[in-house]
Amino acid sequence: MRPALTRTLLPLLAAIVVAGRTAAQQTDPRLERLDAATRAAVAALVDSARRALLPTEPLVQRALEGATKRASGEVIATAVRRLAADLGKARDALGSTASPAELNAGAAALRAGASPTILTQLRQARREPLTMPLAVLADLVASGVPVDSAAAAVLALAARARDADLVEFRRAVERDIALGAPPAAATAAAATAADVLVNAGARQQRPGRP
Amino acid sequence: MFEPVDDVIERIARHLRRPVQIDPALDRRVMREITALPAPARGGPLGEAWRWLRRPHQLTLTPLSGLAAAAALAAVVLLSRLDSTPSASPQAEARAFQFVLVAPRATHIALVGDFNDWDATRTPMHRTGSEALWTAVVPLVPGRYHYAFFVDGSRWLADPSAPVARDEDYGAPSSVLTVGGGGS
Amino acid sequence: MGTSDAALVRRVQTGDTSAYADLVARYRDRLGRYALHMLGNREDAEEALQDAFVRAHRSLERCDDPERFGAWLYGILVNRCRTAGARAARRARRFVHDPAALESAPLPGPDAGVEWDDVVRRALARLAPESREAFLLKHVDELEYEDMARLTGAGVSALKMRVKRAREQLQAMLKEAERV
Repeated sequence: MRPALTRTLLPLLAAIVVAGRTAAQQTDPRLERLDAATRAAVAALVDSARRALLPTEPLVQRALEGATKRASGEVIATAVRRLAADLGKARDALGSTASPAELNAGAAALRAGASPTILTQLRQARREPLTMPLAVLADLVASGVPVDSAAAAVLALAARARDADLVEFRRAVERDIALGAPPAAATAAAATAADVLVNAGARQQRPGRP
Repeated sequence: MFEPVDDVIERIARHLRRPVQIDPALDRRVMREITALPAPARGGPLGEAWRWLRRPHQLTLTPLSGLAAAAALAAVVLLSRLDSTPSASPQAEARAFQFVLVAPRATHIALVGDFNDWDATRTPMHRTGSEALWTAVVPLVPGRYHYAFFVDGSRWLADPSAPVARDEDYGAPSSVLTVGGGGS
Repeated sequence: MGTSDAALVRRVQTGDTSAYADLVARYRDRLGRYALHMLGNREDAEEALQDAFVRAHRSLERCDDPERFGAWLYGILVNRCRTAGARAARRARRFVHDPAALESAPLPGPDAGVEWDDVVRRALARLAPESREAFLLKHVDELEYEDMARLTGAGVSALKMRVKRAREQLQAMLKEAERV
């Protein structure tokens, strides 16, 4: 680099770096509920997520949840670190256009055991927001449904089901499990029923009908 | 069509009881101002209006009750567009969600979760109708929210009617609510 | 979480200023709701709220009963809102109480496409300040009249009259809206 250019650019670059660092140092005031060491660790994780263009609000909320539940600083930092990693993996699977809500739900699905491939397949299958399908997937696994069964069912419904249909599907599965059905069977049955309803709804919306 | 008088007033009151979120930056401004001020002199001029403060009084307002809880039964009120939370996209529109818990023996319940910074003082639940039914209403933009009920200042309770929050990071039970929409 | 107001107040009184931040965070939204409905706009409400918090801190040694910090703080805020309201009235801003204003264009009804929030805000704005204050304390914060009396310095029967007047005016305005 020519010396004259360097003389101009270096101070400019230095100013940009300082500005960035200053912005990073403005810690979210809500984190003041944490002790100093934990606050520093969490702030660093939040900052790193921000620079990676990942949503930071879920990380702050995870830390605040830990503070309210009186978890130790180490537990809080671990939880936040894990969530940050999951958000990054969700973004890798769902693509850079995924919304914060989708990324948060995606992170939950990954934590529940869904593979990144499932997330990518959902993205390909459905044009509407993925928040609800991903959430239902995570919720089903939390209810005891094997992740493969849950993933298969949600993928099958994702293309045409509305958010409300997916919620109803999840409730149907939970009801059946509560009544004693094996989780995988309950899921398959509810998915079939939901598919029938979704298809019926799709038929009613064909052009020509009011 | 006229509503009976009391219904009109109750409708207005319910609307006004909805939670209001003041910019948390106010906290910083307050703290900046009080740390910049010199320490208050004893007996400084504070006005006639505050003399009552020095008299003994029996106000029963406490941080956990008294100053009104959020309005219940939002369904009967026409919901207007609410401000979205800082984390949501500018176009995301908040919808009011009602949380309900049956807890006949509780004396105080707080709804605590991702939507109120896990602050157990922000959303006290309101006993309605039968003494056993507790409710609270929260405006939510699309997203996934962990939450729980904090009962009598000592016990965490998951929502029996909601999916369980799977991650066991903190040991205490939590539930999940997913609000649809919110695509890119 | 779960530190009582009294504990926080005592900490502040013994020099731990940072504990005051917890009290501010705790009461900000609830008291902010009163200020917002009383003054009608966020800017004024936040100013009154900030003022109340700062004054409360300055006079914290006069808080005789730290257990009742919330109520004590509330009294300061009610007072700040009165001052702010009077100041706004003198500057002839939005919420001037003008009897003639009651005669002016009626409120849009629920089917007029205007949102209910606007209807309620405009109706509140038309009330006399002391009626609005009494209505909010009674029907929104659901205080007992005895508590309202201590907070406002007004007598119980005066407060009952103000609440009654507020209810009648609000009812009249809403009926008028439904006739349009």
